[in-house]
Amino acid sequence: MTFQTPPAVEVRNLAKHYGDFVALKNVNVTIAAGEYFVLLGPSGGGKTTLLRTIGGFQKPTSGDVFLHGKSVGHLPPDKRPTTMVFQAYALFPHMNVTQNVGYGLKVAGLPKAQIADKVAHALDQVGLTKFAQRKPHELSGGQQQRVQLARAIVLDRDILLLDEPLAALDAQLRKDMCLELKHLQEKVGITFIHVTHNQEEAMTVADRIALIANGDLVEVGRARDIYRAPEKSFTASFVGENNVLKGKVSDANGVSVTVDVAGAKLQVAKRDLPVSTGQNVTLSIRSECVALETVNDSNAPTDGLSMLGAYDESVYLGLTTSHLVRLPDGTEMVSRIIADADDTLPVNGAPVRLRWKPTDIRLHVE
Amino acid sequence: MNEYENPWFHGLKWAYLLLVVLTLMAPVLYVMYISFNANGFGANEYVFTLEWYGLIFSDELLIGALRWTLMLAIVVTLVAVPMALLAAKYYKAADNKLFPVFLLLAPLFVPPDILGSALLVSFKNLNAVFIWIGDGLGTSMFDSWFRLSFLTATIGLIIYTIPYSFVVILITMGRYRKEQTEAARACGASGWRAFWDIEFPQIRAGVFSASAFTVILVFNEYTRTSLLKGGFDTFTTVLISQMLNTGMSPQSYAMSAMISFVAIAAIGGIIILTLIRAEALARIARGKAEPVMS
Repeated sequence: MTFQTPPAVEVRNLAKHYGDFVALKNVNVTIAAGEYFVLLGPSGGGKTTLLRTIGGFQKPTSGDVFLHGKSVGHLPPDKRPTTMVFQAYALFPHMNVTQNVGYGLKVAGLPKAQIADKVAHALDQVGLTKFAQRKPHELSGGQQQRVQLARAIVLDRDILLLDEPLAALDAQLRKDMCLELKHLQEKVGITFIHVTHNQEEAMTVADRIALIANGDLVEVGRARDIYRAPEKSFTASFVGENNVLKGKVSDANGVSVTVDVAGAKLQVAKRDLPVSTGQNVTLSIRSECVALETVNDSNAPTDGLSMLGAYDESVYLGLTTSHLVRLPDGTEMVSRIIADADDTLPVNGAPVRLRWKPTDIRLHVE
Repeated sequence: MNEYENPWFHGLKWAYLLLVVLTLMAPVLYVMYISFNANGFGANEYVFTLEWYGLIFSDELLIGALRWTLMLAIVVTLVAVPMALLAAKYYKAADNKLFPVFLLLAPLFVPPDILGSALLVSFKNLNAVFIWIGDGLGTSMFDSWFRLSFLTATIGLIIYTIPYSFVVILITMGRYRKEQTEAARACGASGWRAFWDIEFPQIRAGVFSASAFTVILVFNEYTRTSLLKGGFDTFTTVLISQMLNTGMSPQSYAMSAMISFVAIAAIGGIIILTLIRAEALARIARGKAEPVMS
């Protein structure tokens, strides 16, 4: 991605250590103005540390943060062009909704009439006009988060940081709020940087996703690419429901590679990856791309795009059903199918064949 | 038997509460009773009078002691409470909490006689050192810096009261979430502005309680004050010396009763105002009849 103007956020070689614990390891990331960027990853991976460092709530051990091309590593949060929405407990309990939303404008010294106008507009944007006089404890969790949003957008800053803003909400409210957030970002047009460990939430809102784990920025890409074509095996294992298979390359000459996995020889596109014969590699196939069929013989397939295994069990998930199959080496594979009829399920231990298309399997070399 | 419907249990609870309050307040009530007796303490005949209250202000010893005590209370409160507040803030932010809390609470565990004596010796030595420095520099400017005085009594009382203030403030700070300070900073507030606008209103009750507690402690304190005060008397030192030597004068009873009246009225007033305010807030909340929905 190239930028005509300086990017909204640029993080260069950022590291953060807490004594011996390394929270971030030389992270580099660039976020364009007006982008909805999501930091996704498991708990304790370093995504909140990165967000808080961008916001000035933590000093990096090394590296720098640039906002609109200017280094801000030395500036406190109130001197940065950012504002933040917190996970919870961040509303001022002694102030009502109007006072909470108008607080930043009051600090900035705006006239009262202008504050009132801006607060009314912000509350209208988040649909809380009729709750203006309520105290935070008189609001539901979702309403409280909307007040936080209003308090942030009313400041007209161009970078909004969201630290797990929906984590404290129930599942349905989280879904609704996800869409609200996305629409709000499109309406106000500023840069949103959103931290979450919930991939569905990330997929819903993100223009781009950065996957962060163990202090490393594992992979950055569009939500669709991260899901459908993960570069790294960690991405494959974390995003979606992927079957991750370990194997050894038996032939690497040509545009595809042959990998030995649990007694089967699988074909996978090489994608110009540096791979050689005898190398240990990882393959990933999304579970919804794996078709399941019963077989009568136990001869290993030779098409390079299927494997034999023993049917283990099915897990009904509502919209889909996951079928678990055990490979000869004990590895478990999942085939996820949109169907809830369970009267034709194979019996436990029955031989089955797992099959996929050539474009569904991906090679990972790390 | 349904304990909820038995009126005796309800009555018994109130009787117990009343008994506890009476036990606690009996000595004070007795002092108040004596203060209105024209014949003073121990007399066979009780004759009601307000005379002793009229004579309080003519008793220079008592008025002087009260003035010094009030000055000490004000200065100690103005210094100790902000220091305790800073300490509590540091404690909340510190990763290792054990060491600071040990340092701050240590004075509580040193008996008052020992702490007072230790401070007395320290000040005497410090005074000698400053006199020696002054002599070396050819000036008498430093001679009285650490002579027993209002300053030494103030320092002793600050050391004594800080742990109490620290604990009281820390308790109210326990409910405060640092996310609110961060949210204020994210809204553009400086560190001080975030504290003043957001944190202080939420811990104000603790700070005021610590202040009230400090004033009471300064009024109560005898051992350290008497060792460190130098050439003036406080209310407590006067009362105790009177009791040890000649017995309390009727004016002393009147003064004690008056201070008790003022303290009880002030605390009672605060409680009543708080209850009225809480009821008003509850009424406002009830007024917002619309159910809270997502």
